[in-house]
Amino acid sequence: MTCDAVTKAIPLYHYGELPPEVEDAVEEHVDVCGECRQELERQRALAAALDRRIVAPPPDLLAECRHELARAIYREETPAVRRTASDPWGLFREAFHSLWHPGIRFRQPAGAVALIALGFFAARFVGFWPGIGANLMGVSPDTVVSSIRSVQPDSSGRVQIALDETRRRVVSGRLEDQNIQRLLLVAAREQDNPGVRVESVNLLKDHSSSAETRSVLLDRLMHDPNPGVRLKALEGLKSFAGDPEVRSAIAQVLLKDQNSGVRIQAIDLLIKHEDRSTVGVLQTLIGREDNNYVRMRCKNALQQMNASVGTF
Amino acid sequence: MLQDAAGAVSARSVSKVDEAAVIRAVQRGDQDAFEQLVRAYDQSVLRLAMNLLRSPEDARDVYQEAFLRVYRNIHSFRFDCSFHTWLYRIVTNICLDHLRKRKVRREESAVVETADGPVDRMDSFEQEGAQADPERRLWNRQLGTRIDVALRDLTPRERMVFELRHYQGLRLRAIGEMLGTSEEAAKNCLFRATQKMRVVLGDLV
Repeated sequence: MTCDAVTKAIPLYHYGELPPEVEDAVEEHVDVCGECRQELERQRALAAALDRRIVAPPPDLLAECRHELARAIYREETPAVRRTASDPWGLFREAFHSLWHPGIRFRQPAGAVALIALGFFAARFVGFWPGIGANLMGVSPDTVVSSIRSVQPDSSGRVQIALDETRRRVVSGRLEDQNIQRLLLVAAREQDNPGVRVESVNLLKDHSSSAETRSVLLDRLMHDPNPGVRLKALEGLKSFAGDPEVRSAIAQVLLKDQNSGVRIQAIDLLIKHEDRSTVGVLQTLIGREDNNYVRMRCKNALQQMNASVGTF
Repeated sequence: MLQDAAGAVSARSVSKVDEAAVIRAVQRGDQDAFEQLVRAYDQSVLRLAMNLLRSPEDARDVYQEAFLRVYRNIHSFRFDCSFHTWLYRIVTNICLDHLRKRKVRREESAVVETADGPVDRMDSFEQEGAQADPERRLWNRQLGTRIDVALRDLTPRERMVFELRHYQGLRLRAIGEMLGTSEEAAKNCLFRATQKMRVVLGDLV
């Protein structure tokens, strides 16, 4: 090989992209040619210098990307899921699907960190901006102004604006941490994102048995529009199943919830404890329930309590 | 084992046989399978986008757009190439669009946006030599600047080929397949990229 040919081949030689026979020829030439050997050394030095300018993603970026992807996919999916859930079993499937939806599952390994990372915390910001002009200097770049409370011009040509701002923050901590639990309690009521709600409820039910958690679980069971969240709340209330207030809520769910999956879980929970005060509910339910399993469980429970299956 | 782009074996990876099963499950609408598929590849996708575009925001956009396209189009994946190639075709197209827009829009800044605020790329280049003598630090800074100039002078395609070969460790044949060109064309591209950089950096390396 000539020096010119070797010089041209050196970049590909360095990356191991030459056919074996050409590679051998380059090596043979470099062994005897000082100038080409230097050329090869320069190629290696260039590669080594380039290696030192790698830019790695910031540590939290992957978790944020995963979370945002899950949200985007959830947004794409939700209308289709709603359209298909027209019958009781469809609703049950919807509920079941909700539990395993990527909008929910996708973030589980990231745990509370990823969950809270996407939390938004509103903070009242009422203040004056000193200095040169009212140019929003007091508002950080990642701040979103959610509403303007008041606008007051003064005689000097300046204006004072009171506003509410929404700011993104990332917090992390152990699930047992009270501050984390407090945020999870807020997240469990997050209006726009059922994925955040279901995951928060899921985490709360496993890591907290406080009265506040119980109250949030009850609230979600009764009022959350997403059956996946209601199912998780119900699951979380298992340990409170002997509590009269919880039993009353479960009874209401049995009579009112449109989702048969939720009612199936509710009936199992309600009749776990024999309780004669539920006889009336069970009798009412058996007359209006269209799900065979729920009716059968009602009937068995009433029979076990020697109560009449029908109402008179 | 399924390899990520840098050739490292992902901790969550699955075998090739399993991968086909996972893809079929995704095509049937299995969300867990989609998650598994994303997690097998997403670190390498993010790494590629970040190193190439040098901006977490752009890298985030690439990640999101790439995997949404996968989600929307996985039904059209026919196993006539590896999933890795198919995915990287998507990713490289999106990245090339970003590079082309950037080329038109403005000269690339030496400042990289990070979670902790803007950081001068040269500073990270210097880190290793932070304890070194001032002369060495100055040299490092000059080299860093020149490397960035050199990379900026590459065409988007040359930059992409160089990124995939040098930083992501992919073979030129695979790169050609991803970029819809021949191995020979990818070779020429890599050669041109290297030559251009050596011209700019010649006296420093």
